[in-house]
Amino acid sequence: MDIAVLIKQVPVSNNVSVDPETHALIRGSAEGMINPADLNAIEEAMVLKEQTGGKVVVFTMGPPDAEKALREAMALGCDESCLITDRVVAGGDTIATARVLAEAIKKYGNFELVLGGALSADGATGQVGAMVAECLGIPHIAEIQSVKYDEDAPDKIEAVKKVYGERFLVRAALPAVLSVNFGCNVPRLATLRSTRAAKNKPLTTYTNAELGLPEEQVGIQGSPTTVIDSFEPTGGRMAEMIEGTPEELAAKLKNLIDEEKGNL
Amino acid sequence: MAKGICVFAENYNGKLEPASAELVSAARLIQETTKEEISAVVVAENCDDIIEELKGLGVAKIYVVKTSRDLLLEDDAASQVMADMLKKIDPSSVLIPATPTGRSLFSRVAMKLNCGLTADCTELLVGTKEDGTYYIKQNKPSYGENVFVTIITKDGYYPQMMTVRPGVYTVPEKTEGNAEVIYMDDIEVPESKIEVVEVLPQEESTDSILSSEIVVVGGRGALEEDNFEVVKAFADKIGAAIGGTRPMVDTETIPFDHQIGQTGLTIRPKICISLGVSGAIQHTEGIKDTKLFVAINTDENAAIFKVADYGMKADLREVLENYLKL
Repeated sequence: MDIAVLIKQVPVSNNVSVDPETHALIRGSAEGMINPADLNAIEEAMVLKEQTGGKVVVFTMGPPDAEKALREAMALGCDESCLITDRVVAGGDTIATARVLAEAIKKYGNFELVLGGALSADGATGQVGAMVAECLGIPHIAEIQSVKYDEDAPDKIEAVKKVYGERFLVRAALPAVLSVNFGCNVPRLATLRSTRAAKNKPLTTYTNAELGLPEEQVGIQGSPTTVIDSFEPTGGRMAEMIEGTPEELAAKLKNLIDEEKGNL
Repeated sequence: MAKGICVFAENYNGKLEPASAELVSAARLIQETTKEEISAVVVAENCDDIIEELKGLGVAKIYVVKTSRDLLLEDDAASQVMADMLKKIDPSSVLIPATPTGRSLFSRVAMKLNCGLTADCTELLVGTKEDGTYYIKQNKPSYGENVFVTIITKDGYYPQMMTVRPGVYTVPEKTEGNAEVIYMDDIEVPESKIEVVEVLPQEESTDSILSSEIVVVGGRGALEEDNFEVVKAFADKIGAAIGGTRPMVDTETIPFDHQIGQTGLTIRPKICISLGVSGAIQHTEGIKDTKLFVAINTDENAAIFKVADYGMKADLREVLENYLKL
């Protein structure tokens, strides 16, 4: 089974700010990492690959240095990678971004399964996976806990999804998109050897020239929504501040905890 | 001209989800300015109880597609039904609960209607354009420390569609409802490529952090020097499980699956002691329903103090070392 995995780079820390003029994200540092939930998606892809054979291709959209994230994903076992990088597609909202990712997947080849992290550590909209599925006209199961593929039913995939306080076993006809929850498995680690091997694995770069999407459908121009303002929250509630020496604070903390423990 | 505020009536097992009821309150606040009609859209197999509940919330119209099967998790089919309904109703805005179903279903609807979908709003305000028409300012927390952004749906894209975080608005008081119920029988329910095979038995939660009534949460401050040793000793002393923010996970101080927050776990301990946590909303989102929440941080402006019940501007190490002597 050939699998596409969608990943995104997120800032290493949450210490990012918003440019007051453009409202664009200012990354605290140039350092990015693969979004944690996407690592869980890669792990699911690797397990399925071990079971079924086929190849795993990792996709990301971003600046040229997003290659780093793709190499890292290939060091984790992904076979090939695809970077979509073009000023024209940058800065899009979820709709404009999903359109580009879906087009890149279509152009790259035939995939039975598309996996991605359910939520990103920065934007956390949880929307792109479903939107990619819609663009591709295939089913999507969101926020899943585990994936199961049965060779005796090769045109289907099963997933466990928790919602409404229940756990559901859900089946989708392939091809399908699955969005994988953060923490649902333990992602493997890269080794020195796999990191070295990843340097020579294929990386295909697409600009919008290859994808051929109309400019009014992608990037900032193709986004139905736009950020018009950013502000610091004002007012709101505030904790009751307790003052004192460390000794006094420790004693007060103990009182609070003991009192509440009495109510447990 | 598109008109009206439409609320998605999310339902499960024939009952309206409370997060949808809350949105009627959000819609009323918009209505105060725009004077638009508030309606609800329902797609369900068993609609009767849902319709009664919606009537009691005081909406003007209830649009219903009664399906011959439960569309639970069948986003491909349900999104088509919803898109067809919205095309006919032609509202100016659609409010959706920011729940797993809300975001996955309406992501597809938004793509079908090419109308955009703003995620996870915490406040909806009304703005006025130069021509006197209204638009909705969709406020939501943004990345990083405590910054909010205002998002709008650009001119030419309709309806304005947004998911709203559950718990921001309250369920309106019950009224004597006389909503008009409109069955949209001409809308077809397509086949789905998704099926719910079965409901699985509940898992025993073996993860101590999810079941623990007392949790100690460490942040960046807990990573300084060997503070974490003190934090661990403190957690042991009070019988707490340890969770952390992303820096703790990034440095592998705590396991990957003990990250608390938007992309990690949501915990509901009775007692939460937060140590050296700045309080980014991505993290504080993951702590709910506490009875006692104490935060210790050296920065008196730390956002965590807006979430905690009690705050101590102090060095966590000094306080905890003294605590361990008690």
